[in-house]
Amino acid sequence: MRSTILVALLSAAASSAVHAQSMRSVTMSRQLEDNSEVQVSVEYGVGRFSVRSVSKGLLYRMNLRYDEDRFEPVAEYTGHSLDVGLESIRRSRMRGDWESGELHLELARGVPMQLDLEFGAVHAELDLGGLALTDLDLSTGASESTIDISEPNRARMRQARFEVGAAEFTVQHLGNLNAEQIEVDAGVGSLVLWLDGEWQRDAHLNIDMGLGALELRIPEGLGVQLHKQSFFTALDSEGLVKRGDTFESLDWSTADRRVTIDLDAAFGSVRVVWIR
Amino acid sequence: MLQLLRRSVLVFGLAALFVPCATHAQVREVVSKQVSVGRSEATLSLEFSDDGALEVSLRNGSVLIDGERVGAFEPGGELDVAWRELLGRAVALEDGPLSQALADWTIPAELAGSLADVAQAMDRALETALEDFDVQVDASDGTVSISIGNERSFLRALLGSADRLGLLPAALEGLDSNVRVHVGEDVDIAEGESVSGNLVVIDGDLVIRGEVAGNVVVIGGTVDLREGSEVSGAVRLADARVLGNRGSVREGVVEIESDADTDAEEGASAARARLRNEIRNEVRREIRVEDRGYDEGDSALMAPFRSVARAAGGLIENLLVVLILALVGAAATMFAGDKVDVISETARRAPGRAAMVGVAGTFLLLPVWILGFIALAISIIGIPVAIAWLPLFPLAAAAAAVVGYLAVARNAGEWLADSHYPWTGWIRKSNPLITMVGGLVGLMALFVAANVLSIVPFFGLVTGLLIAGACIVTFLAVQVGFGAVLLTRAGRRREYWTTYDAHAAWDATMDVDVDDDVGTTRGPGDVGGEEREGA
Repeated sequence: MRSTILVALLSAAASSAVHAQSMRSVTMSRQLEDNSEVQVSVEYGVGRFSVRSVSKGLLYRMNLRYDEDRFEPVAEYTGHSLDVGLESIRRSRMRGDWESGELHLELARGVPMQLDLEFGAVHAELDLGGLALTDLDLSTGASESTIDISEPNRARMRQARFEVGAAEFTVQHLGNLNAEQIEVDAGVGSLVLWLDGEWQRDAHLNIDMGLGALELRIPEGLGVQLHKQSFFTALDSEGLVKRGDTFESLDWSTADRRVTIDLDAAFGSVRVVWIR
Repeated sequence: MLQLLRRSVLVFGLAALFVPCATHAQVREVVSKQVSVGRSEATLSLEFSDDGALEVSLRNGSVLIDGERVGAFEPGGELDVAWRELLGRAVALEDGPLSQALADWTIPAELAGSLADVAQAMDRALETALEDFDVQVDASDGTVSISIGNERSFLRALLGSADRLGLLPAALEGLDSNVRVHVGEDVDIAEGESVSGNLVVIDGDLVIRGEVAGNVVVIGGTVDLREGSEVSGAVRLADARVLGNRGSVREGVVEIESDADTDAEEGASAARARLRNEIRNEVRREIRVEDRGYDEGDSALMAPFRSVARAAGGLIENLLVVLILALVGAAATMFAGDKVDVISETARRAPGRAAMVGVAGTFLLLPVWILGFIALAISIIGIPVAIAWLPLFPLAAAAAAVVGYLAVARNAGEWLADSHYPWTGWIRKSNPLITMVGGLVGLMALFVAANVLSIVPFFGLVTGLLIAGACIVTFLAVQVGFGAVLLTRAGRRREYWTTYDAHAAWDATMDVDVDDDVGTTRGPGDVGGEEREGA
């Protein structure tokens, strides 16, 4: 009886919290002025988040849905610098159906771009294929994120950085990033890195992992050399040959493209999976 | 203010003379669009390629154009619905098609009266904004040449900053009638080009490579004097700055500041100084209060009563602690009385062992907390448990310490009941709760004594010693109790078993109070043993 009353009270409280919020939909867009390099910063806290490319003469288009009592959209464009996202307008405890917020962002295809993405507790699906990224800085908190570089990057990337808190984080087609240096700094959680895609040059992948499981999915034909520095970390290095302090793929010396991986892990497991 | 308004009217009047002369309309390029739709708002914001902007909003029953209320509407009414339909189409359109759709918008035919007027105002605002406004007025016959990039930019240049309007008279003072004015556009005087007369640039950037035979005035922009450039008069800057000065300016560069700026700066400086003094005085006062233990503002006559008030406060504080712990003890006795009995028994029978376990447990709390989290987090499935572990483990440890302390307090209460000290007659061992409260009062007696003694002057040292003793007693009680909780696995594992004892039963019958502090044996399988005490 008591539990029934409790459930009823909780349901009533939850429904009132949901009804109390006022959702707003906002669409923003800006025409593309020229093809100069743009610095794009995106900040988003909670909800669903997606990014993809657009090719309609637009610099960006953003569709937002948010609780107008707690957040306000940000879209500032000054001197080839674009800041978009959602920021909190008051400090309050998160209540109700706040996860129903959404941010869908489309960015100009083919325009040289330094992309800085920062998102918190979100369900993120980012397709960076088609963008011309010269620099990528991605930082996420407790999220469930899938990053796909579905098409080769049209620009040569200086560096890509992924900073992951406690998350389920998957990156697909890392080779398409066209980056010489890729940094992955992961805290706690599950990390899956697909090293497939079109590697246009040899690359260096630096992985710093705290607690959790890392899965490296490597396509056959890609030369891989793994330097492991770990503490309480199990390594399932199937298909890699140990030479001194390093693990190498069988075709390391003959492969067309080679990726060097520096792995620093504290607790957890590392698994290598070969894909055809 | 009136003067400012008069100046504005003069400027607008001057502009109005020229503006209608050469107006031509064309489609204005929309570079940025924002459509915002909520329960009580439907807003369209546009930015144009020439920095112009328009915002039309239906918000909370009001129709706003560029933030200015032009009328009212009924939420959910025809105007609201028609506007939202237009915004619905605008979401999917960009630039040309967007401009066309907005310009083609017609007000709903059903609207009448004031609502129709409001809708027409919205329609007019859209059409006016979407028409390109480009004015070029050039009176080359002599005296004044005005070039206005765009009406909106011109108005914004003048209205956007009231300070700039205030700067205008000072900046233009003494200029003769031969003036070339550029508003809202950048100007480049090329090498070899010569401007005869004064050159005024408002809300734009000026680059001079050639020659200006007069004064140069820049309001709200920048000036770049390139190598070889020459200005025969002065360069006057009002809310503007020099990017480069490699040319020749005969009368130098002059910064124009309005009186309001100077006054505001002086006002701000005075306000800063006042605030600084206030903060300084407040900090000094706080330090004095801290040093002397009372506020200077209090009456000196009250000084003797302060120590009484402080002591009374301390006593009330201790009583509250006893009350709260008694409530927790009552709950523990009611819901887990048998487990409290086991903990209490263990603490009584083996206080030294319990204290050692308690101290060891205290030292191990932090490592166990961290390692437990790590162990849970390694297994991905355990991550949710690990998140719960972080707050729950310290809570559980605190609960164990409190329950252990209460169990020790019960033992202390029983000891006090047996001691026949004065003032302990009210402690009845037949009632575990009263026994526990008695023990709590006993354990906190030193704190209470310190509070009472703090009323008397010159007893600071004794008060301090009493507080130190009270802290030691509390620490020991907590350690013994915590250790007993650990030893008995929170009262689930009995370390000592109580047996029936005929002597105790007789004594209990004679004294009315039941004393179960006799006749215990060690170990669960040793019931009926003979390890009697106190017989």
